[in-house]
Amino acid sequence: MIKIDSLTFQYPQTSQPALKNISLEIPSGSLTLVTGPTGSGKSTFLRCLNGLVPHFSGGTITGELQIFGHDPISEGTETISARVGFVFQEPEAQFLFDVVEDEIVFSLENAGMPREQMHVRVNQAIRQMGLEGIRNRNIHEISGGEKQKLAIASALVNLPDMLVLDEPTSQLDPASAKDLMTYITRLKRDLGLTVVVSEHRLERLLPFVDFIAYLTPDHTLHFGTPQEVLPEMAQVPPLIKIAKEMKITPLPLRVDDFPEYEYPAILREKGFPKSAPKQAQNPVLEINKLSASLGKQQVLDQVDLQLYPGEVLTLVGTNGAGKTTLLRSILGLIPSDGERYLLGEKMGAMDLENIIHQIGYLPQNPNDLLFAETVLDELQFTLKNHQKSMSDEALTVFLSKFGLAEMQNRYPRDLSVGERQRTALAAITVHKPGILLLDEPTRGMDYNAKRKLTNLLRDWRTKGKSILLVTHDVEFAAGLADRVLIIEHGKVRFTGSPGAAFSEFPGFETQTARLFPHSGWITAEDCLSQLKSEINLSKSPDQQS
Amino acid sequence: MTASLPWILWLAANLALLLSTRNPIYLLLNLTGLFLTGNMLAQKRTQTSWVQQNLRFLLTMILLSTLINTLFSHTGATVLFSLPETWPLVGGDITLESMVYGAINGVIIGALYLTFNILNLALSIKQIIRLIPRAFYPAAMIVTVALTFFPSIQERAREIKEAQMIRGSKMKKVTDWLPILIPLLVTSLERAFLLSESMTSRGFHAHQESRHSRLAIVGLTLAAFCIFSGWVFTMYDYPKWVTFCLFGVGGSFFLILLILLGRQTRVTHFHQESWHIKDILGTVLFSSSLIVFIALRLSNQLESLSYSPYMALSPPTFQWGCLLFCASSLFPIFLKSND
Repeated sequence: MIKIDSLTFQYPQTSQPALKNISLEIPSGSLTLVTGPTGSGKSTFLRCLNGLVPHFSGGTITGELQIFGHDPISEGTETISARVGFVFQEPEAQFLFDVVEDEIVFSLENAGMPREQMHVRVNQAIRQMGLEGIRNRNIHEISGGEKQKLAIASALVNLPDMLVLDEPTSQLDPASAKDLMTYITRLKRDLGLTVVVSEHRLERLLPFVDFIAYLTPDHTLHFGTPQEVLPEMAQVPPLIKIAKEMKITPLPLRVDDFPEYEYPAILREKGFPKSAPKQAQNPVLEINKLSASLGKQQVLDQVDLQLYPGEVLTLVGTNGAGKTTLLRSILGLIPSDGERYLLGEKMGAMDLENIIHQIGYLPQNPNDLLFAETVLDELQFTLKNHQKSMSDEALTVFLSKFGLAEMQNRYPRDLSVGERQRTALAAITVHKPGILLLDEPTRGMDYNAKRKLTNLLRDWRTKGKSILLVTHDVEFAAGLADRVLIIEHGKVRFTGSPGAAFSEFPGFETQTARLFPHSGWITAEDCLSQLKSEINLSKSPDQQS
Repeated sequence: MTASLPWILWLAANLALLLSTRNPIYLLLNLTGLFLTGNMLAQKRTQTSWVQQNLRFLLTMILLSTLINTLFSHTGATVLFSLPETWPLVGGDITLESMVYGAINGVIIGALYLTFNILNLALSIKQIIRLIPRAFYPAAMIVTVALTFFPSIQERAREIKEAQMIRGSKMKKVTDWLPILIPLLVTSLERAFLLSESMTSRGFHAHQESRHSRLAIVGLTLAAFCIFSGWVFTMYDYPKWVTFCLFGVGGSFFLILLILLGRQTRVTHFHQESWHIKDILGTVLFSSSLIVFIALRLSNQLESLSYSPYMALSPPTFQWGCLLFCASSLFPIFLKSND
């Protein structure tokens, strides 16, 4: 059992505590979800559980912490590590070796365990996480989902009582995330492990959760069952949003728990409302039969793609389907076969300077771009690259659209994930390119930051910019896309309306689409606006219960 | 031959030869053996241009070494031509002997490099790291981490460079590299921090108290003092047994320390090296060849090893027994494992 009593922690050289007077009791063998907006202290809280805070971070800590009778504050991380397995946010960054098996065995070799015993433990961990087929593979060659499983297996060999996972599904596609959660719940059930998971995207985890620890922006904590905590939370997944609006109790945590709902026939007839591909004009970007390879492996196979003015084309696909490679091939960063046209002109003959004049590219990691002293300098640098100039006043106005006007003189790397992402976005759009290529822009963002980004992109769309958005966050994509392109194993599997893609393509359905199949609704907003206007939420008494 | 012990003995035997001879016949023989062995291993790893690459390196070394020695060393009987004495350093006679001497040095440097290169081909990184004594376990760990860290940082560097290029960064001046260097530096630091968190969370350093740390410092100082004074004594006319004693005492101090500190680090290994008959054969062959070579060398029975082109160029002498030691670089070919 985990017992925390009035825990307060403050990082060195900060004026505010990161955790304020936190008390809770987590029963053994349960799964607790730690959530809350960016900067509310989720990672700090998790790091308290194995003593990394305060032993690694420094800072002042008060209050009491008991993990299965042990106190990580007094005993330290090294001792508590045998009881608490910890899996970090980026699996790749925590690996020490290049072979799967070597990574798993690290802590056992380090503890000087006899070889026979090690074999038993390693085989067990490999079996528990289903890694039999890849035990001798190179870590750089395995998929994102497998990397997360490997990180968990590396923690499991120590036979911990508890597993702490920091945003384990944030970089996974929906299917891999679901698969991973199935494994985690199996560990909980079979081994009686106590699991603590942090995550922004609740829709992926709610079906598996016993308790929620909700950290508020002012660093206090609500702890309880989902039914107790969810009503307190402002930002919730579509399923809960709809259920709250329709006053359904208890709140359904999975789509199957939602009561049968007979929605009016008038809506059923409508089909997919979101299907307005803007194909009247010539495409600004056109790709024909593009194939590309990385090393000896073919990654893209005869991909066709058209991007029209004033549309958001969303590119979804599983991890490793070739999405990022496609963006790189479009920009000519890697050699490819096939034809690429920018505004009707062949891109093969154009020099990079002309291409980047028209195209803004946001890499997966916004930190790749940020290097200047202030947000303003970051923009000035891009302008200078393009031999343009703008006054600081004009830039402030420009930044205000991103909600960054007050932060213009801050050091970009000190900002929150969402703010950093918007700074990077501002930096690649300040020279006003007509086409934007965005690679996973919602990584690590909370609901609030995502909403701000959605609004910004919608605004650009209405101004005629063309946006190619790569993501596996289907809920985010559904709120924004005009058209959807699904790629699998380097091949285009589907091109068409978001209504069809996000309600019919297996693995990429949104919660709303699964709630109301064949309705054409793919976001909570679609559903609620229709329900409100057309039937004004006139419910029969049995739907209330 | 796949185990690390016979390969280390092979390395030691070959280094002992290379470091104690200047006889061009022996060196060329040894070099041929090295190329044949290297070629066999490289083909197994499907590295097609190994021989060409190393031949190029060897020739560069010979050329450089010849050039430097010819220009800066002006002794020798056969004067080819002279540079004006007023030229600093290079001024003086340019002799055939100094050319030959430089070339021989180049061959030795190239052969030393080849020997280590072959060891690298023969053993996996893990095997090599495991050869680091257990007392230096943290150091071995650092090497491992660095080897995994570099490819991932390279990948990050590529991503950052691409992102900045698309942003319009020209990368012509030195200052243009700042947009790449700063994100890379910050990312590397963040990664390093996360990695150390990850290692701590998995119990690294959990069992290592520094009981012997004071002993280690005192012991190391003593060992270093003994070995150094032994070395100083050899330069003067002290009796040989005094220097031998000093070397012996210093060396054993060092060994005892390694064992003591190694015991303190409780580390086991998951993977076990599989030994075959050829590994045992190799171990016996190379250890005995090493011992015999050192014994013969110390009793001055292998005088043909030493050769000097100075003052006047003379043909090198030759002993059949030495031939066997030179050819040891070739022996791994006969101990090739078939897997």
